Amino acid sequence: MRSAFYLLDSAPYGSEKAFGLLNAAAASLGEMEVTVGLYGDGVYLALTDQDSKGLGVPNLAEILRAYSEIRVLAHEPSVMDRGLFGEGLVETVELADEDAFLEAMESSDCLILV
Amino acid sequence: MKTLTIILTGGPYISEDAQMVFRIADAALKRYQVNIFLYLDAVHIPHLGQNPAFFADEGELFKELAERGAVIRACSRCAAARGYIAKEDGSSQDYHDGIKISSLYDLPKMISGSDGVISLCR
Repeated sequence: MRSAFYLLDSAPYGSEKAFGLLNAAAASLGEMEVTVGLYGDGVYLALTDQDSKGLGVPNLAEILRAYSEIRVLAHEPSVMDRGLFGEGLVETVELADEDAFLEAMESSDCLILV
Repeated sequence: MKTLTIILTGGPYISEDAQMVFRIADAALKRYQVNIFLYLDAVHIPHLGQNPAFFADEGELFKELAERGAVIRACSRCAAARGYIAKEDGSSQDYHDGIKISSLYDLPKMISGSDGVISLCR
């Protein structure tokens, strides 16, 4: 396996899923090509200006920025459905329409959900 | 021999995932090298001394897989967060024999060396 697509479909805070997915994706960087796909509520991870201090957990947008080698796709219909289209997104995040998102998943050697 | 890696994130009993992984690995071991990576709450699965009233002891099931040659590793960060401390060789006094706590970096190594990957999560 030379590439992995990590799919996140849950919100960045409230569970360990997003943090766990980012850690696994970052750990995979030296070993393979890594794409993170944000789908459904997962697209909230792409928002800039996150402030997690009140939650006492790391700011996940900063982790996303720190690993700019990870290709990050945000599912555009999910962004639109949540009224986030005009919101600022982390600069490393690419918007992907339905076809582009599916294409990125299909072209990866494996799909990993956390 | 081909290699199958299974990634599991859910803890024991809250869902059927651990039993599904056991069944998949049970069948796969007849033809494949099997790796299992326990991530997030799945690090609870190898805990010793489970005594479920209505289910099979999932720690014992995974111990059996390890005895049959499955390589089973638990994420060290997730394990430490949940109170499981690894000895120098990766074993833990809280875990069944043969199941080790290891670095998250073992996950991409398992994946890159595999012919197939299955991930189960809720």
